[in-house]
Amino acid sequence: MAILQKPMSFSLMGILAASCLLLIALWAQEADALPINSQCKLEVSNFQQPYIVNRTFMLAQEASLADNNTDVRLIGEELFRGVNVKDQCYLMKQVLNFTLEDVLLPQSDRFQPYMQEVVSFLTKLSNQLSPCHISGNDQHIQKNVRELKETVKQLGESGEIKAIGELDLLFMSLRKACI
Amino acid sequence: MMPKHCFLGLLIVFLTGATETQPAHVSLKPQKVQFQSRNFHNVLHWQPGSPLASNGSIYFVQYKMYGQRQWKDKTDCWGTTVLFCDLTNETLDPYEPYYGRVMMAWAGSHSAWTRTTRFTPWWETKLDPPAVTITRVNASLRVFLRPPELPNRNQTGKNTSMENYYNLVYRVFIINNSLEKEQKAYEGTQRAVEMEGLTPHSSYCVVAEMYQPMFDRRSPRSKERCVQIP
Repeated sequence: MAILQKPMSFSLMGILAASCLLLIALWAQEADALPINSQCKLEVSNFQQPYIVNRTFMLAQEASLADNNTDVRLIGEELFRGVNVKDQCYLMKQVLNFTLEDVLLPQSDRFQPYMQEVVSFLTKLSNQLSPCHISGNDQHIQKNVRELKETVKQLGESGEIKAIGELDLLFMSLRKACI
Repeated sequence: MMPKHCFLGLLIVFLTGATETQPAHVSLKPQKVQFQSRNFHNVLHWQPGSPLASNGSIYFVQYKMYGQRQWKDKTDCWGTTVLFCDLTNETLDPYEPYYGRVMMAWAGSHSAWTRTTRFTPWWETKLDPPAVTITRVNASLRVFLRPPELPNRNQTGKNTSMENYYNLVYRVFIINNSLEKEQKAYEGTQRAVEMEGLTPHSSYCVVAEMYQPMFDRRSPRSKERCVQIP
């Protein structure tokens, strides 16, 4: 009996251990996934400061006066095509960082005094989004972002002006995607 | 010598001809083409390019959302003789940027298009005050607010209130007449507000405004509504 029981309890232990491991693995995966999603988030208070909202819209309006290309839009339907709602904040993070580094910094001596204030506001948002990542495949997101970047690059300086003219859309999209 | 003169003469004729047609062409173009937006009703307005051409001229209107390649004809204003065109239904999403443009035809020729600047209804619209009615129930006041008439929303905004869709709130102020003091009594999206704890034997007046919190912009104020607390 003792000989028979031993392997049985052994296998029972094995099953227990295996299911425990499975549970731990599942839990770990969930714990891994949770902070990732919640960190793609901006406080609603960021979007409730009328002074900087007005400045952002005024800057966009001023730049849009210099943008005569009404056919091409950077932040619109195409940018979000095929991107899940829950991944849109991550997408906007990429667009925000590109806009800051490759558009606003090179153009930073123009459109004063708005530019300086809006850049520091957007930099703050970018810092808040620095822990925002997504797990898994982000190729289709990167593809949409790449298309936006290429459009700006192709248009050259007027592409940069176009991007500044869309800061109101950038602002509204960040708000919609991240709060 | 002769051919050279001829060439110069031709050149002069050509140049003056060009400079003569150019201003005529430019002056036919409609001027000051712009949206005037009130309570999200978006009406395109313009002026004739030349006062000479204002009689017997007709206008053609097109519009599109920013980023679209194709301009769309506004059929109601295709060959219109008036100087405005209601594009409310074509510019229904308040958060989207739009363009409009106008061309003029007169005495067998037509002008180039004159385009508006980029127009985002939410940023540019001017709001009217809400309509306010009040009723007294014992020592408290009920205030009913009605927003200015806003356009019917398209499909995207159907499952949210008018106030939330347009990001609007009401602000209600109460004035105690004996103290001549004004207080903000309410800010929010509800259309019915109750005010309690009013002092007996005194009179109160209520005014309200529409408010866009994101831009810190307010409408003019509503008419004062007053009541005596017994």
